[in-house]
Amino acid sequence: MFCFSTSIEKRNLIYGVYDDEHKLLDTVREVRSKGIEVFDCYSPFPVHHLDEEMGVRRTYLSIAAFLCGMTGFCLGLLLEFYTMVFDWPMIIGGKPSDYHMLPSMVPVVFECTILCTAYGIGILFFARNKMGHGVVPDILDIRQTDDRLIIAFDADSLSSEAKIDVNNAMKNNGVLEINSYKGQYAEALLTEGGAHA
Amino acid sequence: MSVIDSAIRHPLVTGGKTYADITVDICRPLENKPSKSWWIGFSISFVLLLVLFATLFYTVWTGIGVWNINKSVMWGWDITNFVFWIGIGHAGTLISAILLLFRQKWRMSINRSAEAMTIFAVMCAAVFPFFHMGRIWVGCYWVFPLPNAFGSLWVNFNSPLLWDVFAISTYFSVSLLFWYLGLIPDIATVRDRAKTKARKFWYNFFSMGWTGSVRTWARYEVVSLILAGISTPLVLSVHTIVSMDFATSVIPGWHTTIFPPYFVAGAIFSGFGMVLTLLLVARKVLNYENYITIGHLDAMAKIIMLTGTMVGLAYITEFFIAWYSGVQYEQYAFINRATGPYWWAYWTMMSCNLIAPQLFWIKWARRTPWFLFMMSIVVNVGMWFERFVIIVTSLHRDYLTSSWAMYSASWVEIGIFVGTFGLFFTCFFIFCKFLPIINMAEVKGIIKNRE
Repeated sequence: MFCFSTSIEKRNLIYGVYDDEHKLLDTVREVRSKGIEVFDCYSPFPVHHLDEEMGVRRTYLSIAAFLCGMTGFCLGLLLEFYTMVFDWPMIIGGKPSDYHMLPSMVPVVFECTILCTAYGIGILFFARNKMGHGVVPDILDIRQTDDRLIIAFDADSLSSEAKIDVNNAMKNNGVLEINSYKGQYAEALLTEGGAHA
Repeated sequence: MSVIDSAIRHPLVTGGKTYADITVDICRPLENKPSKSWWIGFSISFVLLLVLFATLFYTVWTGIGVWNINKSVMWGWDITNFVFWIGIGHAGTLISAILLLFRQKWRMSINRSAEAMTIFAVMCAAVFPFFHMGRIWVGCYWVFPLPNAFGSLWVNFNSPLLWDVFAISTYFSVSLLFWYLGLIPDIATVRDRAKTKARKFWYNFFSMGWTGSVRTWARYEVVSLILAGISTPLVLSVHTIVSMDFATSVIPGWHTTIFPPYFVAGAIFSGFGMVLTLLLVARKVLNYENYITIGHLDAMAKIIMLTGTMVGLAYITEFFIAWYSGVQYEQYAFINRATGPYWWAYWTMMSCNLIAPQLFWIKWARRTPWFLFMMSIVVNVGMWFERFVIIVTSLHRDYLTSSWAMYSASWVEIGIFVGTFGLFFTCFFIFCKFLPIINMAEVKGIIKNRE
């Protein structure tokens, strides 16, 4: 039941709006204990442990970073060996231009490692999130980048009992509003003291 | 998971701010018309930037002879200014990377502006090594391993000057990425508040479709941690390699193994000096006293005191080792530094970098903004003189008395140096106008004092 595509396009969602990350975390814990999957959460700042509570698997980006770093390491060595040892060895100031110059290769190899790690992981991060210049963001609620935290459920995948459980879990944990989202159309199902309603 | 009002830890953000308050406060300078003080500051900086262009043009057009460097003092203000700016460019990554690894949460209000400062300072630094090559149109072949028609003669990978090229370009690129990555969630916040078409377009363009989804945040945190992890050795390597420009030579006064740690401490010292200079003004002008609190200033003053003392210890160690080595050239280089024709530069350096920061043992000195501002200027001046002393006093009297010479900067060299301040502040004013100078996303995560 776990959905890998997190695009909200053409989906029928129920979402709760919160003003506190701990209320959101408690809701996630409650619905997960009943075996209900959370579609996604949105927050203006990172909420610690939310991904673990939601059962999001840990990203492989750290392994990718290591591989990028190794690539940079090899490219740096290749560059230095090719230019200084094979293609056109130069002896300047009596310094070696064969494998004896390995110690003086260290700084450039190190910098190449760092550069490839950083840019490799940067590019992979944007690719994995499908981020890019000019991508139109999937904003469920305009306040999700300002001061509200959002929990969203895929209404089509919930049974009618599960919908009741979800509603109760949100209400028990101090939700401000519960809204529904169908494509571009949002309708308030419940509003409780929300100034933005 | 409950709210704890800690008696030991003071809140990092004061004034009882809510999430919405943070958004409104930090976005205010971006969304309103620039103030009169912004226009005055920007205009002055822009005029200085034009001075930079003019003096650089004159240097390239006429030749490097318009500088007063000579056969003995072949590095003058150019490399002094280069090391000065690159040192300033160390605080940003230190604050965001090393303090992130040490879980120092007070970094969050200041890391954005410090990182921006890093990038602008490295840009200013890059001007000097580039233009000191003289014939800049062939210079690219001397510093980058580009295929060429000279045989093909590659760059010399045995030279620390070349390592420096790699270190600084990597440092600039990685700092830029780290800064931009941190900006994306905040740009998205500004995007969702944008009213005009142009603002919507540009902030949407640079926010890259950020939504704040939990999966994105989880990956973002991992990537931030990895970038911090690799930036930490990077920032230490950069100034280590800058110090090797000197330390691997055989010039008395330069040829010392203490240089790498000594330069790194000096870089952190001068970087925090410049961060203080900028933030003391910014927090006042933009009304950010609740975000950049006295507690933040206090913490920065402590780091300045620590690193200033480390630098001072290095000065004294150098002097001692020169005497203890028994090498007469080494001994003369240091005696000449302290008592020779450039004694005033040496003692300016000593009093600004070692003696002045000792005032920060007093709590009042660490917590009084106007006094801190004066001290931050003293630190900046002192660190410029440190580089001047290292470079000029070591070169002007070397092994042969026949080649002894004196050096003072020409108006062109002074113009270029003043001009780089124009470049630095022009960039900084533009940054203040178009981007949030405090990391909203991170600050929102720490306002509720939970343990």
